[in-house]
Amino acid sequence: MTLTWILVIALVVVIFWVFSTYNFFVGSKARIKAAVQEIGNQLKRQSDLIPNLEVSTKGYLKHEQEIFSKLTEVRKSIESAIKSQDVQKMADAGSKVASLLPDIKLVMESNPEIKGSEVVVKLMDELRDTSDKIMYARRLVIDLTADYNVKRVSVPSSFIASMFKFAELPGLITPQEGEHVEVKTEETKTPKISL
Amino acid sequence: MINIYESVSANKRKSAIIIVFFVIFVALAIYFISQAFAMYLGYQPGGLGIVGLSLIISGLMSLVGYYYSDKIVLTISGARLASRTKDFEFYTVAENLSIASGLPKPKLYVIEDSAPNAFATGRDPEHAVICATTGLLQKLDRTELEGVIGHELSHIKNYDSRLMSVVAVLVGTVALLGDWLIRIRWLGGRDNSDREGNQLGVIMLIVGIIFAILSPIVAQLIQLAISRRREFLADSGSVNLTRQPSGLISALQKISSDTEPLEAANKATAHLYIVNPFKGKTKSAVSTFSNLFNTHPPVEDRIKALRQMA
Repeated sequence: MTLTWILVIALVVVIFWVFSTYNFFVGSKARIKAAVQEIGNQLKRQSDLIPNLEVSTKGYLKHEQEIFSKLTEVRKSIESAIKSQDVQKMADAGSKVASLLPDIKLVMESNPEIKGSEVVVKLMDELRDTSDKIMYARRLVIDLTADYNVKRVSVPSSFIASMFKFAELPGLITPQEGEHVEVKTEETKTPKISL
Repeated sequence: MINIYESVSANKRKSAIIIVFFVIFVALAIYFISQAFAMYLGYQPGGLGIVGLSLIISGLMSLVGYYYSDKIVLTISGARLASRTKDFEFYTVAENLSIASGLPKPKLYVIEDSAPNAFATGRDPEHAVICATTGLLQKLDRTELEGVIGHELSHIKNYDSRLMSVVAVLVGTVALLGDWLIRIRWLGGRDNSDREGNQLGVIMLIVGIIFAILSPIVAQLIQLAISRRREFLADSGSVNLTRQPSGLISALQKISSDTEPLEAANKATAHLYIVNPFKGKTKSAVSTFSNLFNTHPPVEDRIKALRQMA
């Protein structure tokens, strides 16, 4: 009698565990999908924001047309990335804005009156914020896929993963080979800063 | 050098161990005290009824705090709602880190106080509140602010307000029970003569009284240990979001080296803040013993743990 009860309870526990593990996998997949959409959402925000920033700062940066053409270029590549719905393209487009920041900073350093201008400071803040937002949206995709992939291969949840054929997810696609995984000899030296 | 994922799971594991230890201790204390009650009052159900009663009273006291903690704390501290234009850094950093953590953006408040500090409260991520002082927003740069907000968001993600209120209910239950047992002895109770010779009963009574005296203190000490462990967990959770331990390290240094007292804080809200607002007094006594009574681990230890992740 007690043995049957023990078996029944054990069975209930196992079934509960199977359900919750299965739910973890399907839930993670849905969350990762939502997180990828969030990247698109943030890129959309960025491409809406940049023209407005351009208009409001144009007067202050008349002689720096180059920056504006770069900004327009970035915006175009973001828009095409959103249209393509490709995670990788979205990620690339997002990092382009971040690469613009040093250029703008250079302009500011060379023109003291621009540096002091509130409008330009605001432009910098907004650009940094928008590129941060995309960076964090990508981080969520990376973290969620890492959780999913770790659970997929670790015992005992790996049994459920193989039973229901949950495939490994790529997350943010990064080339496994290339310059970013190599360290050159000159890069190992401590940089000297001369002022 | 510790991997950030390892650090988060190690802190979760340690925290779970303390909580299990706490639950076992509270169960034992309640058992012995209620046994003593039963011996004293002379009938068994009396003991259990009293446990239920103390649980209900303690639960009701904490329930109000649990449901309205955000409103109560905000009213006490006199906070105002943060706006994107006025508090650009605070607002956008919180927004960005919410994206990274996958949580809804918490409500953001600002306290007009020049002492730098911040706290999070609310019973679940949907009702969460993050509050920062104007001093914090002025003195920290964006990277440091990210570290602090990441810490608060991790508290929200880990349901720390919920955990700490459950723990507080249990500590309250033990304290009430112990208090009643000691009081009932002073009142005289009933005549003991018919239980002469019941040695087990006497032993149980003595054990119960010892538990009644000691367990509220011990339970509170374990409660504080849980609180400290959750701080470490929130620190590593913050690094997990920002991947920049340096930001939180220098933020902690700035906050703890600031000598200005936080006027909006009082003893009831002190445990919520990222760094204990009543600093300075305990700085010379960083001994293990005085640490037992702190809601927060010493800043030096937190920085040391963060350095290992860097």
